[in-house]
Amino acid sequence: MPTTLVNPMNETTPEAARPPARLAALEGRTIALLDISKPGGSAFLDRIEMHLKHRGASKIIRAMKPTFAKPAPASVIESIRSAAAVIEALAD
Amino acid sequence: MNFAQPMPLRLVAILQTDCPTCRLITPYLNALAEAAPVSAISQDSEPDTAEFARQMSVRFPLTRDPDFALSKRFGVVTVPTLYVLDENDRVLRQEPGFDKNALNEIAALLHLSPVATPFDGAPPSKPGCTSRHLESPSGAPSAPALDVYATRGDSASQIHIDEDEFEYCFRVFKDALPVIPPTPGRVEKMLHAACMQGRDPREIVARVPPCYGAATVEKIAANAVMAGCVPEMMRVLIPLARAVADERFNAHGVQATTHFAAPLIIVNGPVRGELAFHSRQNVFSNVARSNSTLGRALQLMLLNLGGARPDAIDMSALGNPGKFSFCIAENEEENPWQPLHLDNGLARDQSAVTLFAGEAPHGVSEHNARTARGVLKAISYALATVWSYRACMNSEALVVLAPEHVRTIHRDGFTKENVRDFLFENTGIPLRCYDGDPGEGVAQRALYQQITIDGEPCYQKFRAPQSIKIVVAGGTAGKFSAVLGSWAAGPRGSQMVTYPV
Repeated sequence: MPTTLVNPMNETTPEAARPPARLAALEGRTIALLDISKPGGSAFLDRIEMHLKHRGASKIIRAMKPTFAKPAPASVIESIRSAAAVIEALAD
Repeated sequence: MNFAQPMPLRLVAILQTDCPTCRLITPYLNALAEAAPVSAISQDSEPDTAEFARQMSVRFPLTRDPDFALSKRFGVVTVPTLYVLDENDRVLRQEPGFDKNALNEIAALLHLSPVATPFDGAPPSKPGCTSRHLESPSGAPSAPALDVYATRGDSASQIHIDEDEFEYCFRVFKDALPVIPPTPGRVEKMLHAACMQGRDPREIVARVPPCYGAATVEKIAANAVMAGCVPEMMRVLIPLARAVADERFNAHGVQATTHFAAPLIIVNGPVRGELAFHSRQNVFSNVARSNSTLGRALQLMLLNLGGARPDAIDMSALGNPGKFSFCIAENEEENPWQPLHLDNGLARDQSAVTLFAGEAPHGVSEHNARTARGVLKAISYALATVWSYRACMNSEALVVLAPEHVRTIHRDGFTKENVRDFLFENTGIPLRCYDGDPGEGVAQRALYQQITIDGEPCYQKFRAPQSIKIVVAGGTAGKFSAVLGSWAAGPRGSQMVTYPV
């Protein structure tokens, strides 16, 4: 027998921003490294920074979220806005 | 006779259409505009400004600042910024960002009543965004604005099915337990109860993190049906939806963490009797329809509207049985001290729901201690192990005292404050524990407070006595209590929130 239900789910369609094109090369580019402030994140990003410089990145911006428990505040996003790409250290 | 007239002040706000804080503050500006001259300046394009005005039902003049001349003249750094101007357009007060106290002070300057109340679902304060003319040009397109502060949503769609409704709910809604199918007739009964409380079915009560789905009254009703709630439960579910979306509680993090935490609901006040919440034996388990269905309804809202599904965004390594349902009521009748909602600023006769991001209960058995000190020492040793034994000052704990322990403690003259202070002062980790292998909490020891417990130097486990929350619950037989560790605590994690019902 046909039944009708009231949709209990979120019906908002999120409009995701398109990711930018992948970088073809690192030479001369600014790369941001975002530490979410979990233990061990800085050690991971130190190593990544070394590799990026070795591969020609001209500038590395290091930024850190005040807490891993919340989204990055606008000031942190602003500080890395000029980078060509961002690498985020997600967990410990 | 010369009666001085109040100075004709006016309020000007500078806004951006994609700034969440500007969206947060707009309903308050609407309220001020009902009785005072309020206008605003948008830093965005005409279509964006028009859409913003439509979405937010803006009820004050909203003009544009296409070349940022006005923004520069005001020297605005952050949006929103509010300017109170006198009759000569001199700035008497400027207020960047969102702050409820400041809004109420501005209302007073404009000779109006307060417009921001503590329990309207908005945080006490929220920083704004960088003024458009100061933004760094990156060339990258920004993400479209999520309309997180709209106040009315669309009606829920209807789903027409030709299969077994229970199997359909399993297959499509993907909950692990059967639900009552939310048919229009059942939802209508819930909505009728909500309408009796003056609610519009399309009113957006909250945006449920982490995906910020709109919890309209109708969506809350559909989830309440699925959980098996009685229609009268809508009066609890609406403030509960607000509480779980409160930024202080930070469901965004609680629902996505790898940790064990789940939102525990604690019910206080007259609503316990009115809706038959149970606060005695088996309070954490399957003893009462109200406890179980309210806890389950919250979990269903978090799944269906918040989107933190246990196979995707909810990344908890081990989970928590409370994610089926996690709701207790305080046994105020066996509590010789003030109940939790009084601790959190409400009146005794005010019904309330409190949320605590907690682990599963850890039992403390102490049948042989005959003194308050003996009982509380047993609890302090359990408290010392929350989160990780050497990690101090980063978490909180809920202590649920069952009535037999309460009687022993109270008989020795302890007030609730005495209990909290005793536990604070007697919960610590011996310094010798930090001499061995490195591990969680060791690297931060320079930040810890050193104390002496029973002659042994220790680090104090908690940041403050207030880190230990105390409620009385459970049956009158059995010398037990329970300790529930928290998720990351404080403004950088999750804070306990209490909302009036």
